[in-house]
Amino acid sequence: MLSRTALSRGARLAARRQGGSQLRGYAAAASSSIPTSFAYETSDVAGVKVATRDSRGPTTKLAIVAKAGTRYEPAPGLTVGLEEFAFKNTASRSALRIVREAELLGGQLAAYHTREALVIEASFLREDIPYFTELLAEVISQTKYTTFEFQEDVERVLHLKQARLASDVSALALDAAHSVAFHNGLGNSLYPSPSTPLKGYLNENAIADYAGAVYNKSNIALIGDGATPQALHKWTEQFFKSNPSSSTSSVTLNSKASTYYGGEQRTSHTAGNALVLAFSGSSFGSFKPEISVLTALLGGQPNVKWSPGFSVLSKANAAAPGAKASAANLTYSDAGLLAIQINGAAASVRKTAQATVNALKSIAEGSASKEDLAKAIARAKFDALDASQSGVSTLLSAGSGIVQTGKPFQIAETVQSINGVTAEKLKTVAKALLDGKATVAAVGDLHVLPYAEELGLKSTVKTPRPYHILSRLDFASIEQRNNPPKQSPQHNPQATVKMVFAWKAAGLTYNRYLAVASRVVRRSLKDDKRVAAERRGEMDLRFAKWENGKMGETKNLADANAAASVESAKTGGVA
Amino acid sequence: MSYPSLAPFVLKRPWLRNLLTPFAGWYSNAAGYRQLGLRADDLISEENEDVLKALKRLSPQEAYDRVYRLRRAIQCSVTHKLLPKDQWTKLDEDIPYLTPLIEQIRAAEKEKESLDTLTIIKGH
Repeated sequence: MLSRTALSRGARLAARRQGGSQLRGYAAAASSSIPTSFAYETSDVAGVKVATRDSRGPTTKLAIVAKAGTRYEPAPGLTVGLEEFAFKNTASRSALRIVREAELLGGQLAAYHTREALVIEASFLREDIPYFTELLAEVISQTKYTTFEFQEDVERVLHLKQARLASDVSALALDAAHSVAFHNGLGNSLYPSPSTPLKGYLNENAIADYAGAVYNKSNIALIGDGATPQALHKWTEQFFKSNPSSSTSSVTLNSKASTYYGGEQRTSHTAGNALVLAFSGSSFGSFKPEISVLTALLGGQPNVKWSPGFSVLSKANAAAPGAKASAANLTYSDAGLLAIQINGAAASVRKTAQATVNALKSIAEGSASKEDLAKAIARAKFDALDASQSGVSTLLSAGSGIVQTGKPFQIAETVQSINGVTAEKLKTVAKALLDGKATVAAVGDLHVLPYAEELGLKSTVKTPRPYHILSRLDFASIEQRNNPPKQSPQHNPQATVKMVFAWKAAGLTYNRYLAVASRVVRRSLKDDKRVAAERRGEMDLRFAKWENGKMGETKNLADANAAASVESAKTGGVA
Repeated sequence: MSYPSLAPFVLKRPWLRNLLTPFAGWYSNAAGYRQLGLRADDLISEENEDVLKALKRLSPQEAYDRVYRLRRAIQCSVTHKLLPKDQWTKLDEDIPYLTPLIEQIRAAEKEKESLDTLTIIKGH
C-alpha cells in the first residue's frame, strides 16, 4: 500500500521527469498559443496517412476516417450500408469473434458516419494497440459482405433506424435544410428516410463495390489519440501493408464541389415542430472567424444549467417559452452552414423565429455592444478549444482534415483569427448573410410555421420583371385602349398606368398649349426673323355668340383669349 | 453434416475412397431420388432449426427451383410414376447446394458455444 505522500511525491517526480517541454507548453498557452499535446503529428506510413497525438492517458482511441460520407456515395444508402457492415464477418474471423475478443480486451468498437466521413473506431487500453490496429486493417480489407448478413443484420437494423429517424423532426428539418442548401452531394440525406427508394441501389454487392472504392490508402487516414507515434507507426506498417493503394472497383465517388443554393422546404409532420434557418457558413477550407463569433453571439445553449442564458437566441427565446433555439456552424471541407435550429410548440417556434430574424437584423445594423462581442469571442474560442480537447469531434475533424486536405484541422490559427474579429466585421458579415439567399426548412404543423417571406428572409432571388407579368401588362393596355374600363381601375394598379401629357397635367387646353409653345418659339428667334414671325402670328379673328337666333356682340378673339387666360390664372388654371 | 454419414471417414482414406467410388455412383442411382428429379440435398429433413435458417439463406432462384423439384417429385409419387428418362437428375446436376449453408450455420453455432464457455487464462 502506498501512502498518500508517497503517491504525491511520485506524481511530482513523474512530472519532473517528463521534462520542460510540457511546462513550456502550458507557459505558451498563457500567451494565447496552443499546448503541443493538442496538435496531431502527421506522417505517411506505408502509404497510409497516420496522425497521432499522445495525451499520455491510459486509454487509446484509434479510428479509420474514410472519405466516404453521404456526400460521396454514388447511390443512396451505400454509406449507411458500409457503416453497418463494419465489424461483420471477415475472411479470417467471424463477427461474433470480433465482438467477443474486443469485449475480453475491454475495448469498444463503433462505426458512424457524417456527411463527409465514415469513421470506424476502436477505444481500448493502451497496451492493446497491436490487436486493434490489426482488427481495423482487417475490417477495411477483408470484410466478406455476405448476402445473409445483409438480409439478417444490415437491412433489419437499417429499417429500425429509419423508423426512429422518421419521427425525429429536428433531424428531418436539418436534413431538408442541407438538401435545399447544397442540392446533391452535401445535400444528400444523412440517413435514408423510410420513403427513400433503396431497392435498385442498396445490396451487398453494391456495398462491396463501394468499399473497394473507399477503403484504399489514398482515401483513408488512421488517427490515433493517446498512442505514441512509434507504436502506431510500427503496427500500421505491419498490418496495413497489404491494403490497396488506389480504388479497386469500378465505382467512382461523387466528388463534386459544393455550391450553396439556398431556398425553402416545408414538410408536414405530426411528431413535432422544427424550423431551421440557415445561411452559408464557414468551411474547413476557408475558415471565417466572423461566422464562428456570430454563432457564439447567437448562442442558444445556456452557459449555466437550468438557466435560459443571455445569448441573443436565449433572449429571443424568452418571449416564447416552449421553444428551444440554438445556433451552430456546421463545417464541411468546402462549404459550411450556419444553422439556427428552433424546436418546440408550433406557435412558440413561429414567435421565436421572428424574434431571431429581428435579432439578426439588428446585429446587421450594428447593435452588438462591445461587451457582447467580447463575450462572443471568448465563447467562440472556448468552443474551438474545447472541441479539440475532448474525444469524438477531434478524431473526426483531424481525420477529415487529413483526408480532405492532407493536414489536420489545427486550432492554433483558428483561435488567432477569432481574436481579430471586430464589431465592424461582424456587422458586415451579418448583413451579407441577410442579403444573401437564406435556407428555411420547416417540419411539423405547417398551418402555423412561418414561410421565409413572412420572416423577412430572402429564399428566392428576385428577377427584375418576370416575362409573364410583362406580357399580361401589354395585353391589358391594348384592351383598355379598345374599350375603356367601366369600373374603377383600382383592382390592378399596375395594369392601368397611363401616360399623361405635361400640358394636360398642367391644366391647359390644347389651344392654349399651342399658343404658349408658338409664342416661346417666336420669342427665341433672332430680331429680324422675329419681327416677321410675330407679324405672321398676329391674329385678327372676331367671333360672336348666337343666342335665340340672334347674333350677339362681336368680339376680338385676341382680347377674349387674353381675358380668358387672366381668368384661368385666377381660378387655378382650369381653362 | 445434416444426416449421419460415413463420408468423412471414407474421404480421409484414399484407398477406401478409390474402392468405394464406383459403388457410390451405383448406390446414388439405386436410391431412386434421381429418377424423381430430386437432388441429394432435397432429401435433408426440414424439421430442424439450422436447416430452416439455411433455407432462408438460399437465393430466390435456388429456393424456387427446390420447391419446383419437390412438387414434381410429390406429383410423381402420387401418380406412382417415374419421370421420363431425360428429366432424371444427372450426375453433374446433383450438387450440394444446401449442405454448405448448413455447415456454415453449424460452425457459427459451435464457435458461439465455445466462446460462451471459454476459460480465460491471464497471461500477466
